[in-house]
Amino acid sequence: MSVGASINARGLTKSYGSGEGAFHALGPIDLDIKPGEFVSLIGPSGCGKSTTMLLVSGLEPPSAGSIAIDGRPLTKPITEIGIVFQDHLLLEFRTAMKNVLLQQEIRGLDRAESRQRAEHLFARLGLVGAEDRYPWQLSGGMRQRVSIARALVHDPSMLLMDEPFGALDAISRTQIRHDLEMLWLETRKTVLFITHSIDEAIGLSDRVFVMSRSPGRIVDEIKIDLPRPRPAHLGEYPDFAAYTKRIYSVFEKLGVYKFD
Amino acid sequence: MNQARATMTPYRIAVRIAEPAFWFTCLLLLWQVLVRALDVPLFVLPAPSDFLYRIVTDHQRLLHEGLITARLVIYGFIAGAIPGVVLGYLIANVRLFEQLLYPLFVFIQGMPKITLAPLMLVWFGYSTFPKILLTAMITFFPVLVDSVAGFKSVDPRLYYLSRSTGASRWQTFWKIQLPSAAPSIFSGFKITIVVAVTVVIVVEWLNSNNGLGYIVLRAMDAHDTALIFATLVVASMIGVLLSYAIVVIERVAIPWRRH
Repeated sequence: MSVGASINARGLTKSYGSGEGAFHALGPIDLDIKPGEFVSLIGPSGCGKSTTMLLVSGLEPPSAGSIAIDGRPLTKPITEIGIVFQDHLLLEFRTAMKNVLLQQEIRGLDRAESRQRAEHLFARLGLVGAEDRYPWQLSGGMRQRVSIARALVHDPSMLLMDEPFGALDAISRTQIRHDLEMLWLETRKTVLFITHSIDEAIGLSDRVFVMSRSPGRIVDEIKIDLPRPRPAHLGEYPDFAAYTKRIYSVFEKLGVYKFD
Repeated sequence: MNQARATMTPYRIAVRIAEPAFWFTCLLLLWQVLVRALDVPLFVLPAPSDFLYRIVTDHQRLLHEGLITARLVIYGFIAGAIPGVVLGYLIANVRLFEQLLYPLFVFIQGMPKITLAPLMLVWFGYSTFPKILLTAMITFFPVLVDSVAGFKSVDPRLYYLSRSTGASRWQTFWKIQLPSAAPSIFSGFKITIVVAVTVVIVVEWLNSNNGLGYIVLRAMDAHDTALIFATLVVASMIGVLLSYAIVVIERVAIPWRRH
């Protein structure tokens, strides 16, 4: 099984357009993520969280700055990654299992081995019985679970998640958060998790980066020192309240929240 | 899908066919009764029994000419639909094609292309080629428009996903783009094949010595209204059968759809 990759970014900047009308979306930011670390980026809409993810995967080139994955400079899209987006982005014409095995087909991996891995992931993600269902026959939570399985079946070293639970109801979110944590504890991929949810960020991460808006910058870094696996009700840790308060106070300073 | 299919019991299928068939028969009977009761002359409006009887007596000729027309429809449709899908893909995916070709196609689409039929006659004479060419030209545009729409409907983030898997252009096309666009492409096909039947018949009026269009023209000259109606029935059947054939191909090609 492949171990998590390290991510090191220096002076990462992204602008769209050029000259007067250029939009400075992100940066410059520095990121140092250790192998096997679970890191969240949290911030208001438009703070460049998703852009950061696209830059780290090599899917979009940075306007300035550099990224190294496992010490190697990133110049083109890397393939040792799994991506999960906010909407499941499953192919409607493939069953759950075939959506996951798309990875095997395109990458030309061993079919039997991939199928075994997929079945294992289905079991871990509570998807047993859903293998032959089409996306429209699955609930929102199950679709997102299938896309997590699709992102992991090829055993990548890095998992990138862009608000993966953003469209789910609160109860599903709590469960899927726990299931993801258990999977991560088992596999120890490097995870870059993008979210709007303070609970999710604290509930899952080793470290949380708080970002500001236009241009997106990292304004705070919080190491989350809570035992794992973390419970459904995070409030039972006194530290949880302290972490939450700190993120809220950063948001208030940034003007994200205006409470009198 | 399984649930949806399971509810289609033979009884329900029979009801779905029998119900419209019943009303259609009632309509024909009403027509029959009215024509006879009002003593409408045969050359103005034949009763259903008149032209249905003509189909029986002239079935050999109608079948022979019908097949000629149907063959032209199929050739013309294929000759128009394949470039339509291919260019639809290129316009949706390659900016240069979109910038160069799309405005031109929008202009040509606004042109009533059927008016080119006499020109085709001048250029290519009495052969099947101008008929196929014109049918292809008219088939091409709606298929192109639906293909562009289908290929553009692919969520752009799916391309991020496919690039993260290291997919080649061909793999992306075959495994993601084409199946995603298929429902839209097929809905274009279903509409266009019926249009193609009309086009072939119109061209046969102008430029032919065979086919259903030619029979209609000859029947008109002879005031043989019953034969016109008989031919109309055969032409409609060709249209219905061909669009049903598209439905069958669609179900085989994209079985995942919620029909």
